[in-house]
Amino acid sequence: MLAIMKKEFLTYFKSMTGYIFMASLLFFVGLFFVLNNLMSLSPQYNGVLSNITFVFLLAVPILTMRLMAEEARQKTDQLLLTSPISLTHIVLGKFLGAVSVLLMTLVITFIYPIILSTMGTINWGEIIGGYIGFFLFGSALIAVGLFISSLTDNQVIAAVVTFTALLLLWFIDAIINSLPTDQTSGLIFAAILVIGIAFVFYMATRNWYVGGGILLIGALAVAAGYIIRPYLYSGLIGRVFSWFSLLSRYQDFSMGIFSISPIVYYISFAGVFIFLTVRMLEKKRWS
Amino acid sequence: MIQVENLTKRYGQHVAVDAIDFTVETGEILGFLGPNGAGKTTTMNILTGYISATEGKAMINGIDVLEQPEEAKKMIGYLPEFPPLYGDMIVTEYLDFVSDIKGVTGSDRKKSMEKIMDLVKIGDVRGRLIKNLSKGYKQRVGLAQCLIGNPEVLILDEPTVGLDPKQIIEIRNLIKDLGKDHTVILSSHILPEVSAVCERVIIINKGKIVASDTPENLSKGLAGSSKLNLRIAGPEKQIMKAINELPGIQYLESQGSREPGTIDVVVEADPNVDIRRPLFNAMSRASYPILMMKSMDLTLEEIFLQVTTQEKEVG
Repeated sequence: MLAIMKKEFLTYFKSMTGYIFMASLLFFVGLFFVLNNLMSLSPQYNGVLSNITFVFLLAVPILTMRLMAEEARQKTDQLLLTSPISLTHIVLGKFLGAVSVLLMTLVITFIYPIILSTMGTINWGEIIGGYIGFFLFGSALIAVGLFISSLTDNQVIAAVVTFTALLLLWFIDAIINSLPTDQTSGLIFAAILVIGIAFVFYMATRNWYVGGGILLIGALAVAAGYIIRPYLYSGLIGRVFSWFSLLSRYQDFSMGIFSISPIVYYISFAGVFIFLTVRMLEKKRWS
Repeated sequence: MIQVENLTKRYGQHVAVDAIDFTVETGEILGFLGPNGAGKTTTMNILTGYISATEGKAMINGIDVLEQPEEAKKMIGYLPEFPPLYGDMIVTEYLDFVSDIKGVTGSDRKKSMEKIMDLVKIGDVRGRLIKNLSKGYKQRVGLAQCLIGNPEVLILDEPTVGLDPKQIIEIRNLIKDLGKDHTVILSSHILPEVSAVCERVIIINKGKIVASDTPENLSKGLAGSSKLNLRIAGPEKQIMKAINELPGIQYLESQGSREPGTIDVVVEADPNVDIRRPLFNAMSRASYPILMMKSMDLTLEEIFLQVTTQEKEVG
């Protein structure tokens, strides 16, 4: 795992990608530091970090597009997959390689709070908390990019799809607000979800009984829920979509609040996508 | 030792490998022969754990590749059809990385890397970026990669593709040497290569094993149809006519003149007739000197035709 992480990290700096990622992030941190802190004489540093989260939209696809896609295209995945290391270690190594580039960039930006601290008193706990949040937020996005990169062997496609997916995650709160919240639409949404899950299981197992069974049980559960506690269905669509709202969980950090639940959320979000990447590679071997 | 039982790989409706069985004993060099798309690479990919089989078992020294992949992969060195190289790395850096992921540790790691680089003769390009190397060097770096960790089993997918003739001979000799203390499977579609290196040959076609024997036995069975390529000094018409009159001629074709005053012909005789002596005598009587006579190398396609028709006769 460490070998793969080291290799990924070094590869970023053999081409432009590592430098582009670092440069874009550093440029915007510097810019907003000057605007938010120096020009307006403010000691509030966390605003800088939350201001530049949008840079991730472009920077993360650059960082992750290569990870799996290039291995598949160059057929170097044959070396990795025939070596005595597990798929999980391969994927984790790649993830950590990308994450370490982010970490290194953040360490460099730490110079700004130090500059601030020479000019007045700043709240270190708040800033470190903000950094932790920012880092985990970026890591969760990197995991999404890693997964998308494993779906294709074309870097450009991986980058564009990752960008689109991140954009969708960005606007998900705005989307949620315009979704219907009444019980009937909640019921329809639940039904669609059940059909979708049953279909996925059928595709995965090619077994009519499994798909049909899940469909039946799901339909019964949805119907029972609607009869017993119909209020559960009001606002259901919004609740489900808000599971994917990474940005809203960043609010606390930007206000200087350090709370555990977004941290757990980001780590599990990244974990899910790492898991999906492993499954994806596993599936490629079976098809 | 490699054991393969009832190995099947299906891609949807397409059967790439169809219930094949074979065993390779320790220290044996097995040749895998077949045209493109026959299932050679698929079989090798399954053996090395790169892809999974639909049915059946593949075992390396008694360890199932699917059930204990990490244990099995430790014993395998694999050179795929396209050597898995990172163009952005220099050669030593790449071999270092491979040593890392193959879990080679200890003090002799550096020494064994040097030894391998010596063996495949890439010492002079050690500091160069892999993407700038020629195809031959890339192939040899790929070979070095599969030797790292000194695995007991070597699986080589067309190891001599892209090499120049001198390198081909070197690599063949190297594989022969390695075969003394390794179990080797190598695939190829060049028959002389297989007969030069391998102790046993498996011919595979459309996912099925159609023949399995020593190269000597295989070519003995196939010797009947050998074609001769001749260069004879003299007028074309008379020579063709004289050859045609010989008993047992099946096929005769003039290939025109490549040297002033001579013609090149291809002759094929009945399987049970050795045409060489009568041919010589006839030409000698007519005083058309034979300047060259060689039996043409059997192409894979010809072997295949033979093997498949034999199968049909048996069936």
